[in-house]
Amino acid sequence: MQSVIKRDGQKVEFNLHRIETAVSRAMDSVANADAALLTHLCTEIEIKLSKKPALDIQEIQRTVEETLIEHQLTDVARAYISYRKSRDIERERRSSLNEEIKSLLMQSNDDLLNENANKDANVIPTQRDLLAGIVARHYAKAHILSEQIVTAHESGAIHYHDLDYAPFFPMFNCMLVDLKGMLCNGFKMGNAEIASPKSIMTATNVTAQIIAQVASHIYGGTTIDRIDEVLEPYVTLSYEKHLAMAGQWNIPDQEGYAHAQIERECYDAFQALEYEVNTLHTSNGQTPFVTFGFGLGKSWQAKLIQQSILNVRIDGLGKNKKTAVFPKLVFAIKKGINQQPEDPNYDIKQLALECASQRMYPDILNYDQVVEKTGSFKTPMGCRSFLGKYEHEGTELHAGRNNLGVVSLNLPRIALQANGNVELFFEQLQQQLLICKEALMSRIERLQKVKAKIAPILYMEGACGVRLKAEDNISELFKNGRASISLGYIGIHETINALFGDDAHLFDDPQRQQVAVEIVKTLKAAVDLWTQQTGYGFSLYSTPSENLCTRFCKIDQKEFGSIKGVTDKGYYTNSFHLDVEKKVNPYDKIDFEQPYPAIASGGFICYGEYPNMRHNLKALEDIWDYSYNRVPYYGTNTPIDECYSCGYQGEFDCTSKGFSCPSCGNKENDKMSVTRRVCGYLGSPNARPFNAGKQEEVIRRVKHLENS
Amino acid sequence: MNYHAYHSLDVVNGEGTRCTLFVSGCEHKCKGCYNASTWSLMNGHPFTRALEDQIIRDLSDTRIKRQGLSLSGGDPLHPANLTAVLQLVQRVRAECPGKDIWCWTGYKLASLTEQQQHVVQYIDVLIDGKFIEAQKQPNLAWRGSSNQQIHYLSQTERALA
Repeated sequence: MQSVIKRDGQKVEFNLHRIETAVSRAMDSVANADAALLTHLCTEIEIKLSKKPALDIQEIQRTVEETLIEHQLTDVARAYISYRKSRDIERERRSSLNEEIKSLLMQSNDDLLNENANKDANVIPTQRDLLAGIVARHYAKAHILSEQIVTAHESGAIHYHDLDYAPFFPMFNCMLVDLKGMLCNGFKMGNAEIASPKSIMTATNVTAQIIAQVASHIYGGTTIDRIDEVLEPYVTLSYEKHLAMAGQWNIPDQEGYAHAQIERECYDAFQALEYEVNTLHTSNGQTPFVTFGFGLGKSWQAKLIQQSILNVRIDGLGKNKKTAVFPKLVFAIKKGINQQPEDPNYDIKQLALECASQRMYPDILNYDQVVEKTGSFKTPMGCRSFLGKYEHEGTELHAGRNNLGVVSLNLPRIALQANGNVELFFEQLQQQLLICKEALMSRIERLQKVKAKIAPILYMEGACGVRLKAEDNISELFKNGRASISLGYIGIHETINALFGDDAHLFDDPQRQQVAVEIVKTLKAAVDLWTQQTGYGFSLYSTPSENLCTRFCKIDQKEFGSIKGVTDKGYYTNSFHLDVEKKVNPYDKIDFEQPYPAIASGGFICYGEYPNMRHNLKALEDIWDYSYNRVPYYGTNTPIDECYSCGYQGEFDCTSKGFSCPSCGNKENDKMSVTRRVCGYLGSPNARPFNAGKQEEVIRRVKHLENS
Repeated sequence: MNYHAYHSLDVVNGEGTRCTLFVSGCEHKCKGCYNASTWSLMNGHPFTRALEDQIIRDLSDTRIKRQGLSLSGGDPLHPANLTAVLQLVQRVRAECPGKDIWCWTGYKLASLTEQQQHVVQYIDVLIDGKFIEAQKQPNLAWRGSSNQQIHYLSQTERALA
């Protein structure tokens, strides 16, 4: 008996039965089943093959094809070839799966390992998560998503975000946790029934537990909106306890005692919460993306919480007083509460400025602008995803709502394909939008018929603001704009350059700006139409593109070559943001970006690069105040790096190889604290490296006020 | 007078959002100076009436509010600069009410000449003293070395200090 050399070099025994099966399938598929003919063909093929000295797979396939054609069985031959091809694709997929798994084992794929600055790919739980992600991504592409979506994703036309989680798992993206409902009414978690807390210390403790659970069931950010107001009742409970204690021990100044005690307890409670959030490791293998929104509470209890959150952050983590990058702090500013010197909580704004100058966070939410641009006030989910207005029984509802996921569009690619033809660009944009809609619908589709028991913390214990029963369907929760689902976009700057050339800069050219706005408005019109058509809350989201900034650009560079101002930098610019290399003052940058949040109301953030502002809070306040009437959500990036070797505070030098102290040259990662904005979130890139494109973008960032 | 650079928007030289003028000419020649190219009176560009007008305009800008003007260098109190600097600070006083003036100099406040004192009477905040590398402290506010002193000279500034 002859042996056959397989593709991987292995030798196996020749097996005629395999050929018989393949040819039989081909005959069936063209409705030409004929047992006698089949036997005849196989015999003939066997004889032909027996005359050949060495057999490999290609040789066998060629012989089968030839034989079929000799018998004038053209249809069958065609079916056989196409069957074989689909097997080839299948095999290719399987082997790329192997490759990816191997690269994880060998720790050899930097892109995979550094994909998310929030995951430490050196440790086992993260590696398990990455492994699950590899498999989930492959399965979804092979068996869940349509070929059209997969092709669009692979070719870099669109990006189906978070494929490592959904649609393999029926998970959604990010949310505002209904912490108030959970704490007031109690809930069950694991084996424990948890009753409503009786002190602020317990309340923050339970909050940390909830965050850990929730973050393990979703793949995006976990936000607690208005945490100062949600937790104020527990400050009261603690205060009353301390007051009772003072009475019991006949302390002379009982109120004074109780106030001193509650101030300490509240600080400790929020310090514990910050430590918990930073030490948590969710089952997603990462520190959860957690955001706290606060600032609007007016009671002394809420104010004490605001002070505690900020003072804890200012004081820093651990013995080196390192800057905490989680939770993200978002401070709400409102006239009449804290914006003006005559406002009752103006002192908290000053504390927030001090905190921002030393720790970069908080970013700020300008109350009136948020309402004007997004329809109602709420903290963003994760780093920048904003829900629209939604009413339940006549009142605005935010807590418990969520985002179902994002699919982003590669705008520069469409512009490159249109080759400078603006009309053609808008035509092709419409084509691509159809695919985006299909891709987003596949996310919604995946969440149909899913039962509440898949994530008890979300659907049965109150995080989503409901208490469904185990077998209840969750899909109603996401309808009528209660949840959002987002179309993302990237690289307005590069798109304009691809359309018009880079001889003029978007910032300097009002005509180009008009086209840029028109592009974003076209996207907005599409999501509004989809909302109308489906009843789901489609929104337009300015993609942060931590990883995507590299991916799209790399793919396009391969296909279109290195094009100046478009693909030559190795990254695409974040959504509508101003090119990071353009040197303008932060006031003008705000003006430049001002039109976009109203259009991309489902997700945005604006920020500026500043020098060290520790000694100049007034100047920092000037820029916050300037933003107050212009943009809803603003962050100030300032150099807050620290060298533990020489004590230098400021900005470390950033190179493609890493970071070094400009004062003493220290390059040791464990002797420095380096903090950079990744997107809406901060990261510590010395500890967990950015991907190559992000690092390049960070290197190119110019200060918007660096004069000396 | 020659000037080295003018920043119409500055947040690192003095309190609040400011306009900053770096003049040319300095006779202190401190070791480790971060602006050594400004030592020569001949370096930089001529300080013109047009630039003076622009400074006044920038200080009066209502979109981006400036707290005041910062004078640095070089040394704004270099004898050769006094006439031009005096004219500038007098104009700021007259034409930009409510704006403050900060000034950095290597001379000590206690030993200024009469002409220098004449300029300083228009200054709200004076940071004086040479830069001494041995006393360098990277995290000081508005100063490079710890021997340097911040003098809040005017009533308003003293109230704030």
